[in-house]
Amino acid sequence: MTAFGPIFPAATLAVPTAFLVAVFFPRLRDSALALQWVAPIPALAAAIFALACGPFALDAPALKLSLWLDLPTALLLAVSALLWIAVGAGAFFDRVERPEPRAAVSWLLTMIGSLGVFVADDLLSFYLVYALVSIPAYGMFAFDPSPGTARAGRVTMAFAILGEAFLLFAFGMLAAGEPHGSLRIPDVVAALPGSPWRDAALALLVAGFGAKMGLVPLNGWTPLSYAATRIPAAAVLSGAGVKAGVIGLIRFLPLGVPMAGWGEALAVLGFATAFYGVAIGVTQQNPKAVLAYSSMSQMGVIAAALGMALAAGDANAPALVACYAANHVLVKGALFLAVGAFAARGVRPGAWSLIALVLALSLAGLPLTGGALAKAASKPLFGYGVAAALAAASSAGSALLMVHFVSRLPFSWRFDATASPVRLVRSWPWFAGAALLLPYVLFPLVGSFGDALSPSKLWDALWPILVGGLLAVWLARVADRLPRIPPGDMIVFGEAAFDRCLASATLFDRIDLAFRGWPAAGLALLAIALALAYATANAG
Amino acid sequence: MSPPIIAGFVGAGLVGLGLYALIVNPEPLKKLLAFNLIGSGVFLVFGIVARRGAVGVFPFDPVPQAMVITGIVVAFAASALAVALMLRLAEESGRVTLDPDAWTKPDDGAEGP
Amino acid sequence: MTPAETTTSSGALLVLAILLPSAGILASFALGGRNAERIALGSAPLALAIALSVLAEVWRAGRPIVYAIAGLSPPLGIALRADGISAVMLVTSALIIPAAGLYARAGFATPPAERESRKAFTFWIMLQAISAALAIIFVSGDLFNLYVALELLTFAALPLACVEGRAETFAAALRYLLFALFGSIFYLLGAALLYGAFGTLDIALLAERMRPLPAVTAAAALMSAGLLAKTALFPLHLWLPPAHANAPAPASAVLSGLVVKGSFFLTLRLWFYVLPALPAVGFDAILGALGSGAVVFGSVLALMQPRLKLLIAYSTIAQIGYLFLIFPLGSGLHAWTADGWNGGLMQVLAHAFAKAAMFLAAGVLYESLGHDKIAKFSGAAKAMPMTFLTLGLGGLSLMGLPPSGGFAAKWLLLRASVASGQWVWALVLLVGGLLAAGYVYRILAPALSSDPVALKAPPRRAGEAIALSLALVAVVLGFAPESFFQLLDIGRPALATAGLP
Repeated sequence: MTAFGPIFPAATLAVPTAFLVAVFFPRLRDSALALQWVAPIPALAAAIFALACGPFALDAPALKLSLWLDLPTALLLAVSALLWIAVGAGAFFDRVERPEPRAAVSWLLTMIGSLGVFVADDLLSFYLVYALVSIPAYGMFAFDPSPGTARAGRVTMAFAILGEAFLLFAFGMLAAGEPHGSLRIPDVVAALPGSPWRDAALALLVAGFGAKMGLVPLNGWTPLSYAATRIPAAAVLSGAGVKAGVIGLIRFLPLGVPMAGWGEALAVLGFATAFYGVAIGVTQQNPKAVLAYSSMSQMGVIAAALGMALAAGDANAPALVACYAANHVLVKGALFLAVGAFAARGVRPGAWSLIALVLALSLAGLPLTGGALAKAASKPLFGYGVAAALAAASSAGSALLMVHFVSRLPFSWRFDATASPVRLVRSWPWFAGAALLLPYVLFPLVGSFGDALSPSKLWDALWPILVGGLLAVWLARVADRLPRIPPGDMIVFGEAAFDRCLASATLFDRIDLAFRGWPAAGLALLAIALALAYATANAG
Repeated sequence: MSPPIIAGFVGAGLVGLGLYALIVNPEPLKKLLAFNLIGSGVFLVFGIVARRGAVGVFPFDPVPQAMVITGIVVAFAASALAVALMLRLAEESGRVTLDPDAWTKPDDGAEGP
Repeated sequence: MTPAETTTSSGALLVLAILLPSAGILASFALGGRNAERIALGSAPLALAIALSVLAEVWRAGRPIVYAIAGLSPPLGIALRADGISAVMLVTSALIIPAAGLYARAGFATPPAERESRKAFTFWIMLQAISAALAIIFVSGDLFNLYVALELLTFAALPLACVEGRAETFAAALRYLLFALFGSIFYLLGAALLYGAFGTLDIALLAERMRPLPAVTAAAALMSAGLLAKTALFPLHLWLPPAHANAPAPASAVLSGLVVKGSFFLTLRLWFYVLPALPAVGFDAILGALGSGAVVFGSVLALMQPRLKLLIAYSTIAQIGYLFLIFPLGSGLHAWTADGWNGGLMQVLAHAFAKAAMFLAAGVLYESLGHDKIAKFSGAAKAMPMTFLTLGLGGLSLMGLPPSGGFAAKWLLLRASVASGQWVWALVLLVGGLLAAGYVYRILAPALSSDPVALKAPPRRAGEAIALSLALVAVVLGFAPESFFQLLDIGRPALATAGLP
C-alpha cells in the first residue's frame, strides 16, 4: 500500500490539470464540465490515506518538485476537497445553470491551486500553486458579472498581487538563509530562526499570508469580494481558498522554536482582527458581507492561536489549528449555500431557519456541534491567562455576529449575486448536517472525546453563546442607530490613496517629455559617461 | 609640442565641437554634419594611435589605418542613410524636424499598425 | 598562443552562422523579386540547425568554441568565440526571426501582379541582415568587428522600422538613427583609446593585458555610455517608443526582442569579459540605479498609455531596466554571482520571447479590430481568445509570476540580491512586478467583459498561432533545468580567473 502512496499527492494535482486541458477541446468540453466534480476525488483519497496511514512524501528533483502530506495538511486537504466536490457537483451538473467555459477554466485553475497548497513542499511549487489559488479567481468576477464585480475584482487582484510580492520577498530571504541551498519547506523553516533575515522574513510572511486571510489592515478586499461573487464561487473561495493563507502560516512559522516577541505580536494582530471583524460585521446588512466579516474574525482567531503557539514554541499546534480551520471550511461553505437557499425560497421560518441558526452558532462553538469540538481543539493553544479570556470573548462576539447573520438571512433576496443553482438550494440542509457532524470524524485524530465532551467543557462552550445571544438582543434594539459602514470599510482609504498615487504619475509624464527632447537626452548621455568615468577612476 | 599632441588637441576639439552641435542644434542635417565632425575627430585619434604604434621599419601601425578606413565607410553609409531618410521625410510631409510633438499622436489609435 | 585563440574543432560552425544569412542577402539581391522572401524563409531552418549545433558543441565540449579567421590568431587576426551565452542567444535569434518572418508573410508578400515590390524586397533583405548582424555580435571576439556589427544591426533595423513609408515612421527612424550614431561614435572613440593603450582589440587578449589607466577609464565610460544609448536605457530611451510602436508588428517584435539585446550583449562583453580586472564598484551601482529608474519609469508610463503598442514599447523600456541589474548582482566572484548572472540572462531570453509574442499579438489585434486603443477593448477577449491568451501569457512573464521564464529570472535575481545584502534591487524587482501587474491588468481586464465587440476582420489564425507559440516558449523557459544554467556558465570569465574551465 505504501508503495502506491506517492501516487496520490501527484494525482491531486494531475487529475484536475487533466480536466483543465480537456476543457480546451470542444469535443471533451461538455463531459469535462459535467464531471468536473470528480477532479478533487484523488485529493480526497490522498488526504484520507494520509490520515489513516501517516505522512508520506513525493520527491521529484528533476521537476524541482516535492510534495508532502501529513496530519494538518491532510485534514485541510480532505475538507477542502469535499467542499470542492460538493459545490462543484451542484454548480456544474445542470447544463443551463453551468458557468460558461471561461469561468470554468478559472474554477479549475483555482481548484488546482487550492488543493495544491496543501501538498506542495518546496518554495517554488508552493509559490506556483499559491498564485493559482489567488490570481485565476479573477475569472470568477470577470465572467460572471453582477453590479460591483468590476470594483471587487480590481481590489481583490490588487491585494492578491501585493500578497504575492510580500511572499516572494520572504521566500527569497528564506532561500538565502538556508545554508545548503535546499528549497524544501521544512529545511528553510528550520533555518529561519537562525537566519540573519529572520525578522524581515517573518514580517513579510505574516503580511503575505495575512493579505490572503484578511488580517487587519489587509482586510478590505474580503467583504467586497464575497459580496460580489456568486454563491458557488463565494462558498469555495471563502471556504477553501482562504485556507491557503492558513496553511501558509502553519507551515512557514517556525513553531518548534519559542519566539515570544513575534508570537505575541501575531496574537495581538489576530485578536485585533477577530474583534474588528465582529465590530464591523454587525453593522452590515448584506448577509454575504456579514459572513465575510465573520471569516475575517475567525481567521483572526486562527492567527492568534498560531501566535500563542509561536510564543510558546508549541510544535503540536499545526494539527490543532488545522482541525479548527477544517471546521471553518465546512461551516462557512454551508453558510454561503444557506444564503443562496434563502435567497431562492424567501423566508422560511421553521426547519430551515433553525438549521441555519444551529449551523451559524456552531461557528461560535455551540455545544455538541462540530464547532464545539473545533473550539475544544484550539483551546489548549490559548492557555489560561489573558489569551484564554480574549478567546472566550471572541467566541461571544462570533455568537453575536452569527445571530445577526441569521436575522439577515431572510433578506438575502434583496442583494446581488445571491442566486444559487437549484441543486445547491435543495440540498443545502445536507451540507449543513455534514458540516455539523464531520468534525466528529476528524476530531479523534487530534484530541479525545471524553475530555472534549465533559460537562465543564460544555459549559465553557455554552456561556459565550449565551452572552453573544444577549448582546444580539440588545443589538436588535439599537439597530437603527448603528453607523452604515460600506462593505470593505478601510478600503475606501486605500482606494483614495491609490488615486492620489496615480495623480503623481503625471510627474513621470513630465520627466518623459523632458527626456524626449534631444538636448536633455544628449546631456544625459554625456553625464552618464562622466559618471561612469568618475566611478571607474575612483575605485581604482 | 610634438605632432601627435597637437593632433590630439585638434581631435579632442573636433569631438567637442561636434558634441556641442549634436546636442544643441535642432536641425537633423546639422546633427548629421556634427556626427561627421565627431567622426573626423575620432579618426584623428586613430591616426595618433597609429603613429604611436610605430614599430621597426613601419612608421605607422597599419591596423588603426584599416580601422579608420572601415570607419569612414561606415560613417559614409550612415550619412547616406540619414540623408535618404531626410529626403523621404521632406517628400512625405514637407518638414524635417526631430521634435517629438510634431509626429506623436498619442490618443489617435487610427494610425499605426 | 593561449587556448582561447586557437581554432577548436567545429569552429567552422561559427563562420557558417554568419555566412548563411549574408549569402542569403547577396542571393536575394541577385535573384530579386519574390525570391527574397523564399530565401529568407528557406534559410531559416538551416540557421536554426546551425545554432543548435553550436549549442550542442559548446555543451559537449564544456568550453567555448573558437575560430581564428584565415588561421590568423589575434592580435594579428580576428577570432570568433562562442561560449554558453552566445550559443543560447544564437538559438533565440534563430527562433524569433523566422517566427516574425512567418507572421509577416501575409503583410509583406510581393503582390501577385508585380514582379518586385520595394516594401517586400526591403523587408526580407533587412530581416536577413539583422540575422547576420546578430550572429556576428554573438560570436565575434574583436571589439572593432563588434562595432561594425553594431552599425550593421542599426542600419538593418532602421528600414524595418520605417518600411511602411509614413511620415511619422520616417521621423522616428531618423531620431533612432541619429541617436544611435551618437552612441556608436562614442563606442568607436573608446575602442580607439583601448587600442592605443594595449595594441589589440581582441577581447581575450585585452582581458589579459587589462590594467587601470586613464585611457581605460575614459574608454570604458565612453563605450558604456554609447552602448547604453543604443540599448535605450533610461534616460536615453527617447527613440524607442515611437520607433517600436509605429513599426509594423513583425518589425516591432524583432526590434524589441532582439535588436536591443544586441547592444546589451555587447555591454556584457565589455564589462564582464574585457574589464573585470578593473577594480570598479561604482559603475555597478550606476548601471543598477539607471536600471531601477528604467523599471519604475517605464512601468509607470506604460500604465498611462492609451495605445497598446505604445504600452508594450514602454514596457520594453522597463524590462530593459531589469537587464541592467545583472551588473550589481552578477559581477565578481561571490556565492551569489551565479544567481545574478543566470537571472540576468534568463531575463534576456524570457523578455525576448514574451515581448516578441506580445507585439505579434498586438499586430493581429490591430488587424482585427482596426485600432489598438485599449479603452475600446471591451469584450474583445471573447472574440479573439487566442490573441488575448498570448497577451496574458506574455504578461505573465513580464509580471514575473510562475510558471514563466520571467519568474525564474526574478527569483534568481531576488535570491542574489538578498544574499548579497543589496536589498534595494529586491525592492526594485518587486515594485516592478507590481507595476507590471498593473499594466497587464489594464490590457486584459476590459477585454474580458462580455460586451459585444465589432470585428473588422476575423483574427488571422496563422498569426495568432505564431504569437502563442512564442509566448509558450517564454513560459516553458520557467522550467529550465539545472543543466541549462550550467550551459550559461560555460566560458564565464569570473570562473576563468578562478582557475575553473
